[in-house]
Parts: sequence; structure tokens; C-alpha cells
Amino acid sequence: MRSRVRPSGLKVPNLPCLIGCLALAVASGSWAEAAPAEVERGAYLAKAADCGACHTAPHGKPFAGGLAIGSPVGTIYSTNITPSVGYGIGRYTEAQFARAVRRGIRADGANLYPAMPYTSYSVLTDADVQALYGYFMHGVAPIDAPTPRTDLPFPMNLRVSMMGWNLLFLNTKPLRPDSRESEMWNRGRYLVKGAAHCSACHTPRGFLMQEKAGEEFSGGPVGPWYAPNITSDLNSGIGSWSQDELVHYLSAGDAHHKAQAAGSMGEAVEHSFQYLSDADLNAIATYVKTIPAIHAASDHRSRFAFGTASSDLGRLRGKYGIRDQESAPTGAQLFQGNCASCHAPFGQGSKDGYYPSLFSNSVLGSGNPNNLVAAILYGVDRTTRQGQAFMPGFAGGPNDLAALSDHDVVLLANYLLEHYGRPGGAVTAQQVAEVRRGGPSSSLVALARAGVALAAMAVLTALFMVFRRIKRSSGTS
Amino acid sequence: MANEDGADVVIVGTGIVGCLIARQMLDAGLSVLMLEAGPRVERWQIVENFRNLPPTLRLHYDAPYPPKPWAPHMESYTDAAAAEYLQLEGPNALAYRQGYVRYAGGATWHWAGICWRLTPQDMRLKTLYGVARDWDFDYDTLEPYYTRAEYAIGVCGPSDSSLQWPPMRSKPYPMGPLPFGPGEQRFTEAAARIGLKNLPSAQARNSRVAYDGRPPCCGNNNCIPVCPIAAKYDAATALPKIEARGGRILANAVAYRVETDQKNTIAAVHYFDPDKRSHRVTGRIFVLACNGIETPKLLLLSKDERNPNGVANSSDQVGRNMMDQPKLVAELTLAEPLWTGVGPVQGSSIMQTSQGDFRSRHGGALFRFNNLARSAFGGVAAVRKGLVGRALDAEIRRLSACTAEIAIEHELLPDPDNRLTLSNKKDWLGINKPNIYYDVGEYVRRSAKEYSVPLVRKLAAELGATDVQVSTEFTHSDHIMGGTIMGANSAASVVDLDCRTHDHPNLFLPGGGAMTTAGCGNSTLTMAALALKAADAIAGQAKRA
Repeated sequence: MRSRVRPSGLKVPNLPCLIGCLALAVASGSWAEAAPAEVERGAYLAKAADCGACHTAPHGKPFAGGLAIGSPVGTIYSTNITPSVGYGIGRYTEAQFARAVRRGIRADGANLYPAMPYTSYSVLTDADVQALYGYFMHGVAPIDAPTPRTDLPFPMNLRVSMMGWNLLFLNTKPLRPDSRESEMWNRGRYLVKGAAHCSACHTPRGFLMQEKAGEEFSGGPVGPWYAPNITSDLNSGIGSWSQDELVHYLSAGDAHHKAQAAGSMGEAVEHSFQYLSDADLNAIATYVKTIPAIHAASDHRSRFAFGTASSDLGRLRGKYGIRDQESAPTGAQLFQGNCASCHAPFGQGSKDGYYPSLFSNSVLGSGNPNNLVAAILYGVDRTTRQGQAFMPGFAGGPNDLAALSDHDVVLLANYLLEHYGRPGGAVTAQQVAEVRRGGPSSSLVALARAGVALAAMAVLTALFMVFRRIKRSSGTS
Repeated sequence: MANEDGADVVIVGTGIVGCLIARQMLDAGLSVLMLEAGPRVERWQIVENFRNLPPTLRLHYDAPYPPKPWAPHMESYTDAAAAEYLQLEGPNALAYRQGYVRYAGGATWHWAGICWRLTPQDMRLKTLYGVARDWDFDYDTLEPYYTRAEYAIGVCGPSDSSLQWPPMRSKPYPMGPLPFGPGEQRFTEAAARIGLKNLPSAQARNSRVAYDGRPPCCGNNNCIPVCPIAAKYDAATALPKIEARGGRILANAVAYRVETDQKNTIAAVHYFDPDKRSHRVTGRIFVLACNGIETPKLLLLSKDERNPNGVANSSDQVGRNMMDQPKLVAELTLAEPLWTGVGPVQGSSIMQTSQGDFRSRHGGALFRFNNLARSAFGGVAAVRKGLVGRALDAEIRRLSACTAEIAIEHELLPDPDNRLTLSNKKDWLGINKPNIYYDVGEYVRRSAKEYSVPLVRKLAAELGATDVQVSTEFTHSDHIMGGTIMGANSAASVVDLDCRTHDHPNLFLPGGGAMTTAGCGNSTLTMAALALKAADAIAGQAKRA
């Protein structure tokens, strides 16, 4: 597979980044060693691969690591991937870099956890890996600072176990161009499967946290959020989206009367997709629209087609006096008091779409309520060239607009589903509590521990039997 | 006493002043305990209270904040209700019906968010015009604190210095200005035709982007009585941030006595809980941040053998010099729609009219096109005309579109006779209610007669008004100032230049009460600046101790 980054598409969106890396290159005195075009291409690929999403902590230095990533098996800290010799990847050869990116193996031979999407990056071409290497060595300022050690619970702390996992789940075959499809489609597939690592979130994971084979892009949880089905299915997926809608969504995080990017997808748009060239975004959209449909039997309607404008105002007003503030609220009151000031009293949002309508909205039409609950608790904060899309959280945090209890969120979410969304989906307090905790945790640790214990028991039992047999035989002799 | 609690810094009051100080103390590593007389409620409850109000009560900004029995504040829905708590007397008694809420978060819950600074001239009235007092520091001393306050609460304003008031600034506003609504635009053009500049207000409201975790303004046009989305700064948004830093906030804790020790330093504050049980709170430094009415009331309530006139009152100035900006309102009817009500409720003012050599004879005035949507006025007025059906609808539309209001806020001088004392009447807890004597004085009356009312008529004519009704009775602007006036001379003032009481080295009274003169603009940003100046002094003092 040939990697092509179109220079015409690269220049405009990538200008700030280019200026930034040129400045860094000058500052670090490595200008002479770097091939500017290669560094520039690497910078673009690093955006496409969204390396900064994990390897740059909030308000931290670029690529200096230290971001705490909550995983179902514990907290993983991203590493320093600046060219710092003491703390980063300054000593990495290109071959070692390639092995880390595509095979998940550090320079010292230890395995990375698949929080690093090397299972996706495994398809990156040699040329692209080389460009990335050039960028990280010459376009990124070295930061001489350590990051917290990742210390997963036993037995996940045994990185060697990842060797077996890789044997099972890591595809090492390069992506061969499909000659039946267009160049654009092939480029899109390369980006979707590789750098953009879409399947890392949008494909459900199996028992061993691997992406489930045969269910690619059919949706999966991402911490408290849910990365929905993006296959071409008309009801379960995004088969109803036009090419332009998809491109606009990727560059601005918004598809009117369909969906808005929040959580991890908001970050992906803000830090990665909005910087991709129109050609690449169109390539991605071209491929995504052909992803084989996966249909969930319960999806009788498109998740973008639920609900209508409605309001309980007529029933609300005049009933509750001003001194009623201490009585338990209803879902209607919570909606009018917390949501309607922006999303409008009939849930219709604003005409320009800055405040999305609540009906015809993926979040309320989905069979999985996590995004609804997470949006209420954590809000939305996404900045693109279109400006900032901001919704405060309601979880009682220091910056939140309200401190809604789990019960309040249940009342509100179910009111919203009933009036503007997919009816019948009753959100429970347990679900809200789980989203508040940061999403589902895996039973893998407990199970693996149980497994280790069982194995130990088996070994002990075997030893005991052998010992008894020896004893018995010696006794009888 | 059984119930004791304490902290390095004890702050009475959870409004903007108390919250700014609390945050700085916590950042300096000091422990903080805040006492709030009223309840702590969720924003949505107030929003729902407001939206459930019948139209006739919509303009009573205190109505969505029903007071608790133990923390009464003025309720304006009837004259009888309004007379319950604040005891008012004097020629302009009704003009001191100050609206403030005794809720966690304080009166910024229902302020308009306007953030005018004083001008250098506003602080030198004695030297320049021979009236009132000079501040004992100059504008340049206050300027860095103004800037810090603007960044702390998030103020939007113009970057063009010809549109700034005053233009002497060390840093730009943290955010750009909000655009004018159509009514404000027309008013600005009309003013310009008679040589007056209507300036975009500096306002603690997020324009276009989020600030400090709060969203941008979306134009609900009910900043007063509550911003439903906290795009406008109010101190209620500061409370969880204070708690996240380890500060403690006790709601429903009504401070009623400040206790001095043998050395006449402050040893404790006593408060009642809603069960009328008394509690004692000790600390190293005490801050009373209850603004110009509740702070002097608490000082007067606390008199003891060492302080027979009340705590901090050796100068006899506690409760004196009560100020506000006495307000007149011009109601305009126009032939053409003006479309008031797009955007925040207040977004601009004519400020140049607050300055001039006339100040030796009469006060200056601020002219503000009130941008509150006229539908509530129009609706009520149309119904009162007895109209029904289509005629009613048409009249509501006409009155909403073709009427307007210009507020005139006058400069009042500090007068020791405008005085807060303790009433013999007691509240639910048995605490004396405040009693205030108020006379706006000839300085203001001359301003209205010779200057502001003729000018507002010119403005109205220029705007194309077919009818103008200017109120004849002064009303309140809810900008409570004075009461614990600041100065270098301990014989003539209550607090020093850091808002520390002259009488008690560990007692601070920052906020509007300390303001030496009032100017014409909303007092809040000056209160915030004084709070930050006091906070520097408190942190320094706490570290030395």
C-alpha cells in the first residue's frame, strides 16, 4: 500500500501545526538534520493518528505523556514520546519505533498494553512510519520529565501476557489495496483502519478486551460514553448519512438533526479530524459508507428519527408555586429548569443548530443510553474552526451547572427519552452510577485472578497426588 | 459552648466578595469556613420559581427567592410585604428598598452583571469639586485589582479604548463585547445625534466562549432575576469551586454576634441554626462580607463593654453614609417597533454624563436603555386595559415592540445622616431588623431637575418617542454602598485602605460598605476589587502570624 498525503490538502488545515513544528525544530537546533517535507508529513500523520489525544496531558507539554487513561482493567498512564533521551523515545532507532507503533513492543522488549492502538497502527506503511519517526525525532521538542508508572493489578501487570494476546489478536498482515475499489476508497480504508483507529472505539470488545471479529464498527463502550454503530445499516448505523454530512461531522463535530460529537469523539474531531485535508475526510467518508451493515434486531427505526417537538409547559405552569422548591422534582421540571434555556422549551434547539434539537438526535434515539447520561453528567466541550461547542455538566463537579443526583438524572433522562427520543428505554440508577464512575469495569481482573488461582490449585492438587502416590508406593513397598 | 468550629479564615457571607476572598485564601494554603444565613439551592429551582411566576410578579426580582424565616430579606410583591424586613424612614425612604437575597451566592444571583469601574475623578470629589470625600488612594492603586477582578469573574467588554469606560486599563478585557440588540442600536444612534456616546457595558457575562467552566450567553434575557445557564457570573458558581479546594460552606447559619477578646481582637462569630441553637466559630482572621446593610447591622448587634457603640465603631461611622444610585425611569412609547429584549437585559450605558465640572453643584448621571424584553410590561398593561381576543393580542404585541425604558442612575454623596441603625422590631430569630434613614439630598435633586430629566427628554425625542413619562419619585438601584466607610483617618472612617477595621486588627469588612464615594455605575466590580485588595492583606497577615 502506497501512502500518499496530498500536498494541496495538507497546507491549509495543517498550517498552525506546521508553524509549530518548524518553530520547535528551530528551537531544538535540529533544523539541519530534519527533512522539512518529511517532518511536515509526519506531523500530519501524527494528527491523523491523534497521538496527542493520549500522549499529551491536559495543559501538559505536547507528547510528554502522563495522561491517566481509565481502562476497564485499571488506569494506564500514557508515556513520554518526545525525543527526550532520558524520559522519552530519544534513543529509539527507526526500527524500534516501528516495532512499538505497529507491534506494541518497546525498545527494551517489553510489551505495550493495547490502550496504545498498535493493532490499528499495524497497517501503517513503512513510508508513513518513517515520516512519523522523522516528526517525533525532529519536529517535537524533547521534554525531560518522567510520567507516572502504569501499575495494573495482578495479573495484568505481567506485560509478558500480552505476547499471547498479540498472538491471538494482532494482525501483522499489511493492508493490500483493493483494485476493485477507487483510489479514494482505498485511501479511506487505510486511514480508517490505520491512523484514525476508528475500530478501537467503534468495535465491541470481547472477553479478553480484543476487538470482536465479525462485529467491526457495530458500536462499543468508551469509558462512560458509547461509540455507536457506524456501519452502513440504515437503522442501526449511519447508512442514512450523506457523504457531505459525514465530512462535516468529522471536521466540525456536528451533523444537523443527527448527531454531535462529545466525549472521545469530540476530542477526536478537535485534535485530529478537523486538521485532515478535505480529500482525506472525503476518502474516510467514502470508505465508511461502504462498511458492511450490521443490524441490531431491536432497531426498528433509525436512531436519528425518534421524537418530535413537544412541551409540558402548559401542564407545568401555574401548578407549582414559588415555594415548592424543596419538593421532589419531576422529570418535566428538571428538563425545563436545566435544559430548556438552551435546547428550547419544546426541545427544538436553536435554528443555527448551535444548540442541537433533542429530537432527531442520535443521543436520544440510541438503544444505549450511555451517551445521554454522559452528556448530562459531563457536558460537551469541543473546539473546532467553527468555534466552541459547549454544554456544562450537571454532575456536581466544581465547574458544573448543577449537582443532579443519580435519581434526578434517571428522571430527566427518562423524561427526555419519552418525549424526544426512543421510548421504552428506561434508564436505571445503576446505569447512571456506572457512567458517573467512568463506565463499565471489566471482570477480567477478577476472572484472571480466579484463573490463576484455579491453575495454582490444579498444580497443587497434581503435586499432592504425585506426592501421595510416591508416599503410598513407598509405604507399600 | 458545645458547638464549636473554626478555621484560619472565617468568612460571613457567600456573595461575590466572600467567594473571591475564600478562593484566594484557599490558594494561599489557609483553611476557610464560610457562614451563609440563607439556604443553598440549585439553579434550576430558581429558574423554575421564576418561570412559574404570574406576569404581575415577573418584575419583582426577589420573588423567585422566597426567604427562609431565619434569613429574611426584603420582599417587594406588595408594599406591606416590602415593609416587613427593612425599616425605612426619611424623605426618600422608599428609594432604599434594596433588593438583595440571603441565599448562598448572594445578590449576584439577580444582578445584571454590569461591571463599570470608577473613574479617577469619581475618587477625588473633594479635591476636584469640593464635595464629599476623596478616596485615600488613587485610581492607579485600584486598577490592578479591577483587572484581577475582571479576570476572576470573567468580564466581556470592548477592545477599542474609545469605547471603554474608563479607558485607563492595564490589560484588555478577558472577552470581547456582546453585540447590541436592535433597540440598543437605535438608542446608540439617537444618542450620537445629540453628541452622546452609548458605550457597550463591561459585563460579567461570557460572550461567544465558555469561561471558567461556564457557558456563553444564549440570550434568555432574564439575567435579572437569574441567569438560567450561569453565562453571567454569580457567586453561586464559585461555591463548588471553593469546596473542591477544601473550603467549607455552612448554609442556614445566621451570624448574630461578633465576639471580641481582652485585647479587643475578634475571637469568634456566633450564629444561629434554623432550630435557633447557637454555635460559636473561632478563627484567626474574620471577614464580614454581607455588604452595606447586613454587615453594619451585625457590627451594631455585637456591641459589648469594650465596644459600647458596636464592634468596629469607635468612629461612630458604622451604619452612616448609606449610598445607592437614586434612579428615575423614563417610559417611552414609540410609533415604530424598537424590538427591545434581544440579548442580555442590560448591555450599554451613556457614561460621559457622569463626569463634569457640574459636580461641584449637582451629581452626574448614567443613562441606560433597559434591554429587558417588554412582553411582561406589555402583557400586564394590555390585560389591565380590559381587552380580549385579537385586540388583546395586538395590544400585547404593540406594547412589547413599541415601548422602551431609559433608566437614569444618579450620583449620591456620602452623608452621615443617611444612617442604618437597629430597629426595635425583631425578626423570626429575635434579631433586630435594620432601620435606615434615607434622603437623596439636594445634590441629587438638582441633578435630576437641572440636568438628567431635561436630557432624557431630549434622548426620548431623538429616539422618536410619541409619549414620555418620567417618574417623579426616586427609586433604588440595589447598589448598596457605605455603611462601613473606608479612610486613612480612623476618627472618620470604619476601615483602613485594605478594608481592615481600624479597631480590630483581625476583622475585615470588604465590599460595597467600604466605598468612599459611589459614582454612577453598578458598584459590584469595585466591591470585587476591594475584596481582592483585602485578600492580599489578609493572606499576608495570616502568613506573618
